[in-house]
Amino acid sequence: MPKRLWNLFCRSRIGRSIFRVGLPASSLDRMRAAVSSFVLHIHPAKVHARTLKFSTTFGLGLISLYLFIILSVTGALLMFYYVPATDQAYQSMKDLEFVVSAGQVVRNIHSWAAHLMVLFVGLHMCRVFYTAAYKPPREFNWVVGLALFLLTLGLSFTGYLLPWDQLAYWAITVGTSIAGYAPLIGEKMKFILLGGHTVGQAALIRFYVLHVVALPAAMALLIAIHLWRVRTDGGLARPEEPEPTPEQMPAAALPQTKTYGLMELARGTTPSVGAPPDDLVFTWPHLLFREILLFLFVFALVLVPAILWNAPLEEIANAVYPPNPAKAPWYFLGLQELVSHSAFWGGVVVPGLIVTALAVLPYLDRKPKGVGVWFSGERKVAIAIFSVCLATMLTLTAIGCWFRGPNWALQAPWKPHVVAEERRP
Amino acid sequence: MTEPSPRSLYPWFTALGLLVGALVIVAYYKDQFREWKEWQHAYIQQELARATTPSQKAAAGRIPVEIRQTLLPGLDRVDRCETCHLVVDDASYAGFQQPLAYHVNHDQHPFEKFGCTICHQGQGRATTREAAHGQVAHWDHPMLPMKYIESACAKCHLPSDVPGAPQLARGHALFNELGCIGCHKLHGVGGAIGPELDTVGDTRSPEWLAKHFKAPSAVTAGSAMPPVAVSDDDLEALTLYMLSLTGEPMSDYYVSMKTLPGLEAGRRLFAEKGCIGCHSIGGKGGTVGPPLDEVGKRHDAEWIIAHFRNPQAVTPGSVMPRFSFTEQEIRSLTDFLLTNTTSSMIGSLKIPALMTPVERGREVFVKYGCTGCHGQDANTGIRNPNAKTAQQVPGLKFVAEGYTKDELRKRILGGQKEIPRLDPKGPQPPLYMPAWRSRIAEGELNDLVEYLMGLVPKSEQEKEAF
Repeated sequence: MPKRLWNLFCRSRIGRSIFRVGLPASSLDRMRAAVSSFVLHIHPAKVHARTLKFSTTFGLGLISLYLFIILSVTGALLMFYYVPATDQAYQSMKDLEFVVSAGQVVRNIHSWAAHLMVLFVGLHMCRVFYTAAYKPPREFNWVVGLALFLLTLGLSFTGYLLPWDQLAYWAITVGTSIAGYAPLIGEKMKFILLGGHTVGQAALIRFYVLHVVALPAAMALLIAIHLWRVRTDGGLARPEEPEPTPEQMPAAALPQTKTYGLMELARGTTPSVGAPPDDLVFTWPHLLFREILLFLFVFALVLVPAILWNAPLEEIANAVYPPNPAKAPWYFLGLQELVSHSAFWGGVVVPGLIVTALAVLPYLDRKPKGVGVWFSGERKVAIAIFSVCLATMLTLTAIGCWFRGPNWALQAPWKPHVVAEERRP
Repeated sequence: MTEPSPRSLYPWFTALGLLVGALVIVAYYKDQFREWKEWQHAYIQQELARATTPSQKAAAGRIPVEIRQTLLPGLDRVDRCETCHLVVDDASYAGFQQPLAYHVNHDQHPFEKFGCTICHQGQGRATTREAAHGQVAHWDHPMLPMKYIESACAKCHLPSDVPGAPQLARGHALFNELGCIGCHKLHGVGGAIGPELDTVGDTRSPEWLAKHFKAPSAVTAGSAMPPVAVSDDDLEALTLYMLSLTGEPMSDYYVSMKTLPGLEAGRRLFAEKGCIGCHSIGGKGGTVGPPLDEVGKRHDAEWIIAHFRNPQAVTPGSVMPRFSFTEQEIRSLTDFLLTNTTSSMIGSLKIPALMTPVERGREVFVKYGCTGCHGQDANTGIRNPNAKTAQQVPGLKFVAEGYTKDELRKRILGGQKEIPRLDPKGPQPPLYMPAWRSRIAEGELNDLVEYLMGLVPKSEQEKEAF
């Protein structure tokens, strides 16, 4: 019944002006829908059947995109209440919690989605590496992806300050001081970022503008480029297909009632002789349905923690009472751990090397080996190097997260990590 | 290859769709269920039960369920306490249980101007019981226990002058008498041996303060502070006064009430404005204006007030200037003139111009907290381990026998950081003489020296007593 009503609407004058194609009934309609609709045109009309297999990508890139969309919507809602002033920012958090309808849950979704986005963009990068999907012709899209990863970190980091509580204030103080270790430009960079030497009103408004205007705009643009290039580079990277055997040719399957031998081009019984097996499927419904399902999954994934746990909010920011130790956001704790050993290595050399190495990776590693195959045996060396670096970074992050206590001393993870200075003993 | 059918996905749509739907419903109910709504419904039930006429019943039925808040821009606060405490201004609820109880005695401090948290503390923006009362993590200002409530008065008023706050006044008086300021700085005045006390009420809990007064070194290892030996009631008063020292800035709108009309305020004005330059009490003072002895017997309050407002309108030809006193100051001065101007009271008036240098010096001795270490009458000092002077801060009775006036001035101005040790290898004595240069006024120093030089016992018999 709803299907019929919808079709009726689509056939009306207004319906036709909006949706050029109704609910597709034929393959032709499906193709036209994918090509003519703005929302769907990012897809080709048909995709390779491999694309549908979950283990090809685990949907990591799309999950990241969905998280970005969720973050944009919830972020816009939060902007109705948030005031980026040091004497009002914290209070607006309290209002969200106590009097704004759904204020707390929207803030929770925004907070959890932000953490998850850092995680999933990271996982997506790992997927692309381990399936060698950065190899030609996709080298530059890997670089765009790296920029998106850095933007994700930037968005998360700038958003971290906005609640203007102790957690935010000291994480940003520590995080920006890591930036200050860079030689020559470090101090200048930190000054420009903070609008001063310490985290204050100038820093808050800068972080706010970066968080709600500059970085999201850059992000949206780069995502568009990233997706467009995925399409123009031929969709997902996939292994070279072996030459089809004659038995696999579609012609072979057809009854031999007619011959086209006169053409002398190829043997066979249909005009499509010589075409490879058709592994393409229609985007609508196969890919589209899976994408909708994935969105439902992602939405559930952020709703569960958002319902169970409130986004943290500590005391109002106070420059006089540093927590001990003051920790940067979790994704920078690996760097902070390195900085605790050597400011120069942790603050400059290692992060510089990581970004440079990732950026030049597709230009150094060009041999089309193992493309589209998880952990291909042909790329043992590359996989080993990447895995060791990744494991090292994860270990350092884990140490910074769970094994560092007051005065950055090593301790067991079940002891209290942070001792706030006793303010009313 | 045959097209796979999307039908295999339908169970997934059902499952995930139901899951998301359920989660949205849970989130909605979590958001809609708010503790304060229960109390508002309880209030409406109460009102319905009380209603006797149909129109009252209808009015009770129309009471909205909503957040109620007082915006206090002058304090940069929003107090939402009335969301649960709905009847604070309804006297018919006197004696009821919280949160539906009447707040007695609020005429002086209307809620719409002061809100609630300015006195009670807690978290005004919060709308759950625990968060609002401040008994949650990450909130530094839990509600002030009622036994310390007087400490809040001092945010806007002088601690000595608040009617109905005897404990606060007692604590303040004790603080001065005990000479705490000799070691601790408050409002920029005082010694540097102990920590400053400007925000002690904000950084220490009442329990800590009480424990610390009884045995400072047990709470803060190595503290040089002597235990405060006063009665339990006085200890409470002193704790209460400490809690009043929050350093919380108040806008002008509120501190305009700093000086409540009162005798102490009147005395202070009388001394500061230099009335004694023209008028005399007990034969002391100027002769331009009439003596003020027993002025209350000659004029009533109305006359004095009118005279302050415009002297010439009341006494034609008077040369007394029209001072730009506020109405409040006029009331304080009038109170003071009506009660305190008998010649027998001169000594207790503490008006510097009417006092001898020795008397003034004694005041200075108390004002700068010298009593804290050197004793109430400068006769015996408190313990100072490993000090050469009998492990004590020296008493000052015989200072005139060991020092000339100049030497004494030098010692007070320069202090003595290194106290000679009893056992040269022992630890440094914790207490030392702070330098008072740039903290004490020249006139005050002269008076202090006069006072100290005059301490030496006059008779042999008195000397024997030491």
